[in-house]
Amino acid sequence: MPKIDPEALASASQCRHYAMCKIDYLATGLCPSGPEKRFVTYYPQGRMDLYRGLAEARIPVTEALLEAADTCTLCGVCDPQCHFATGLQPTSVMRALKDYVEDYRRENGPVVPTAEDEGLRRIREIVGRDWASNDPAVLWTYADDPFPLAAPQLPRYVVLPGTREEVAAVVRLAGELGLDIAIRGNGGSVFGFVFTDGIVLDMGRMRRIELDLDNWVAAVEPGVTSFELQQEACRRGLRVNAAEPAATVCGNIVCTGTFSTWSNVYGTAADNFVDMEFVGRDGRIFRLNDKRGPNHFAFEHRVAPSPGVCTKAFVKLHPMTDDEEGLLVPFEGLDEAVRFARELGQRRIGLALAVLGAHYIATFLAPDEGLAGRLKAALPEVLGINYVVFTIADKFGREAIRKMAPAVIDSSLLKLLMLGLPRLVEPRWLDLIREYEGAGRPFELLCRPEMRPVVEAVLQPSPETISASVPESLRSFYRELYARPEMTDLVWLNMHRIVSARMSRRKHMIAFLIYVPPDRLDVIHEILDGFARVAEEHGIDHDFGFLTPMDLGKRAILEYDYYIDHPDPEEKEKIARAMPALDPWLDALAARVPGVLSLKYVFSQGCSRKDNFLYRI
Amino acid sequence: MRIGIGALREKRAARASRILVTGGAGFLGSHIAMALLQSGYRVTVLARPAKGLSARARVDRLAEWFALEDEVRRRLAVAEGDILDAGWAAAAAEGRGNFGAIDEIVHCASNTAFAERKRAEVEATNVDGLENVLDYAARAGCGFFHHVSTAYVAGRRTGACPEDWVEEGPFTNVYEETKARGEILARDVCRAGGIRLNVYRPAIVYGDSRTGRTLRFNALYFPVKAAVYLRDIYLADIRERGGRKAAELGVRLAEGGGLVMPIRIEVARAGGINLVPVDHCVRAFMAVFEDGLAGGIYHIANPRSTRIEDLVAFGRRHFQLEGIETCGPEAFTARPKNALEILYDSYLEVYRPYMQDTRSFDTARTTPILEKQGLVCPVFDYEVFSRCMDYAVETDWGSKLLAR
Repeated sequence: MPKIDPEALASASQCRHYAMCKIDYLATGLCPSGPEKRFVTYYPQGRMDLYRGLAEARIPVTEALLEAADTCTLCGVCDPQCHFATGLQPTSVMRALKDYVEDYRRENGPVVPTAEDEGLRRIREIVGRDWASNDPAVLWTYADDPFPLAAPQLPRYVVLPGTREEVAAVVRLAGELGLDIAIRGNGGSVFGFVFTDGIVLDMGRMRRIELDLDNWVAAVEPGVTSFELQQEACRRGLRVNAAEPAATVCGNIVCTGTFSTWSNVYGTAADNFVDMEFVGRDGRIFRLNDKRGPNHFAFEHRVAPSPGVCTKAFVKLHPMTDDEEGLLVPFEGLDEAVRFARELGQRRIGLALAVLGAHYIATFLAPDEGLAGRLKAALPEVLGINYVVFTIADKFGREAIRKMAPAVIDSSLLKLLMLGLPRLVEPRWLDLIREYEGAGRPFELLCRPEMRPVVEAVLQPSPETISASVPESLRSFYRELYARPEMTDLVWLNMHRIVSARMSRRKHMIAFLIYVPPDRLDVIHEILDGFARVAEEHGIDHDFGFLTPMDLGKRAILEYDYYIDHPDPEEKEKIARAMPALDPWLDALAARVPGVLSLKYVFSQGCSRKDNFLYRI
Repeated sequence: MRIGIGALREKRAARASRILVTGGAGFLGSHIAMALLQSGYRVTVLARPAKGLSARARVDRLAEWFALEDEVRRRLAVAEGDILDAGWAAAAAEGRGNFGAIDEIVHCASNTAFAERKRAEVEATNVDGLENVLDYAARAGCGFFHHVSTAYVAGRRTGACPEDWVEEGPFTNVYEETKARGEILARDVCRAGGIRLNVYRPAIVYGDSRTGRTLRFNALYFPVKAAVYLRDIYLADIRERGGRKAAELGVRLAEGGGLVMPIRIEVARAGGINLVPVDHCVRAFMAVFEDGLAGGIYHIANPRSTRIEDLVAFGRRHFQLEGIETCGPEAFTARPKNALEILYDSYLEVYRPYMQDTRSFDTARTTPILEKQGLVCPVFDYEVFSRCMDYAVETDWGSKLLAR
């Protein structure tokens, strides 16, 4: 058997399944074979899995595996795409896979044939020959993800339907064959929900977006990603409340309801759409607004099944004004930050709104994990910034915020800080700030507009400066990337959410999301302390994520994150021991405090009215 | 008193005393600990682990820096502990943590931050931490407590400041306030416990006047370090990037090859800064330690303050930095402050009371002791300044100090 390159295997094992190689979010173009073949097998993410599968002897060499290797052109486009979000550079794995296949052929290794069984034959009658597979290599790329507590589960078939009628027919056939169905959007699964031993429906072929500007609605098919929809809306000067960029719009709505920092004004769950179309478990097509249909706007406080397979969402479009800009308001303590964010929510100031911790800010701003680590340490220790209230606001909102806040990092200062980041964390400069003993906090001094010329001179902000922090092979790419104005524009970055995809860069992230009453700081601390305590007890890396007020500051969604090195079995053990401690504690807290609700209870009920789960009467 | 002067003298003469030095890994604490060791005493240094180093490793590195001979090192013990830990005193009193029997304590641990926003941590060290040490002193049979304080417990007093207790403010900042509270606390506990007490009040301590060597680069060094940092930034801007940023603030190359960096520093017409080199400070401490057995308060100050104008001139000359000048407040009416001046002003704000100090620190109790040994505080002149700054640059303002 050909040799496995251990370095390539280590890289392949680190794939986060974030599917950032499936969207053209950096305008680099996509891996050529992906959009043609559509199966994830033919994207870099799939090839990473294939290499790991070969190394772990999970899969034989099949025709699909050979094709996946052969269709990689080693164009290198996946390197910047993946590095931007996860710090990985997949080309070395792609090359290793091709080398493996080449050696295998040279050794005349057997190619395991895949016979078409009766089930596959009937599915192919519905969707066409090219859009259903039972090739073990293809199945493997739909069998696993970084969630450490779900063991790999090979489906019998992977099917890519092209229309809602095909979806309905496949669902009916699955019922007839007694096969379970799992619906796959684009990315990974937070808690291993997209795996089955039956049929995986990959919705990647249904990719139409139709804008109905008179009704402020985008009709979106289930293969459309949040990034693609946002891009399309932006072309018309409009915006949607978008999920993570690679997440499919329909999948995200159905799963948890779309929430983001924009949920402050755009809401969540049923707030985000006008109607949805589904194929029910019985294969019948229905709309949520159909009076005779099932009521999925209601919410049940239990883990409930989804309404079915979403085949279309009529997503709300929102207007933008041309004076929107981002602002960061730094704070030393969480309480003052939460109070400030809540007040903005109550006063209806600003559009996007969130409290972010030092880890999030550092990760968002830094294109490299090493730099992010240095910034994360410097923010609290040197600059006195433990939290920021992030907001996007029009000029009236910004004016109000400036009057309310002791110091603000406006969009122009943020641009300086971003482009000059490597110099911001240089020891000599940090030493100087550290020794600042003035009445205000160090960040207040930095934020003073009169200080701008000195800050500029020190940071030398430029695409060259920031790109110096990434590996040399990617520097010229990053130089060009950061020369593009949108890469330092908080409005663009936040509405497309491409930097938040970096949250798993340090390690695989397990995000815990809890709805909370933001006026109850005691409860917020109880939750944060609880997550921190459990993590510490089990030796798990952990951090505060964010808190976004919604519904006029009456409620908020809070994220706390655990980080694990997911290929490490010991880390898997740790998380397996920690998880059982969390649920009873959170359930008891939710029973005691109105407004506390773990998002896991909203799973598959993302179409419900938010009022039905945020308030319990 | 727990120990009579005669017995104390005898024990000292036999070098039988075991002395605990808190803050012994700090600037002044380490110098005092080493001086005590060099004088033949047995010293236990109390230090925290920090930056991935154990207390022992930190002290060992300091001993290297001081070039402490092996024979002397044998009298040095290290106890790992944090005065902020309330359980520390009990553990120490019970003989845990490598303390042994302690005869005298030199308390140097201190937080020298001025900013009000740091009040909690400053109070914790300078009051609560001290209380823990005093608690230990009371329990452990310590006979003499040497409290290293500051001349600036004088607060906002004007004119002559006596070597006497300061019962109340007003104070300039939280540092002064907590150090004054600490003195009173030490006085009360020592009185109640029959412990002898010396309070040492140095002014602003800088490096060794003979060699320029130092372990800390704050106070005197900080404004110079800031100016040198900005000089390097603008020189690089001019040499490597065409000097656009420099030109915005009127920064340019000087004819002699230096840099013109226009910064006006506001100073009062009178007063100066009271600078004491660490070599003199330690010699004065040791003289009082040996001679001042009856207990008391001792100012360790320089009878001649240094004018800020002179400091600025030293800096200009040494670092080839033109354009930095002192002025009165009226100068800013005609031409408002530029960004560099705002930065500098913000940084110097807290130091301003010490830069234009018109107070004099009475040394009626200290001077006779120093005179007996012919100790005179060195003048802070250009040569001393240069030595200190050369060392600062050589060690990259401390970053290359104590490197592994």
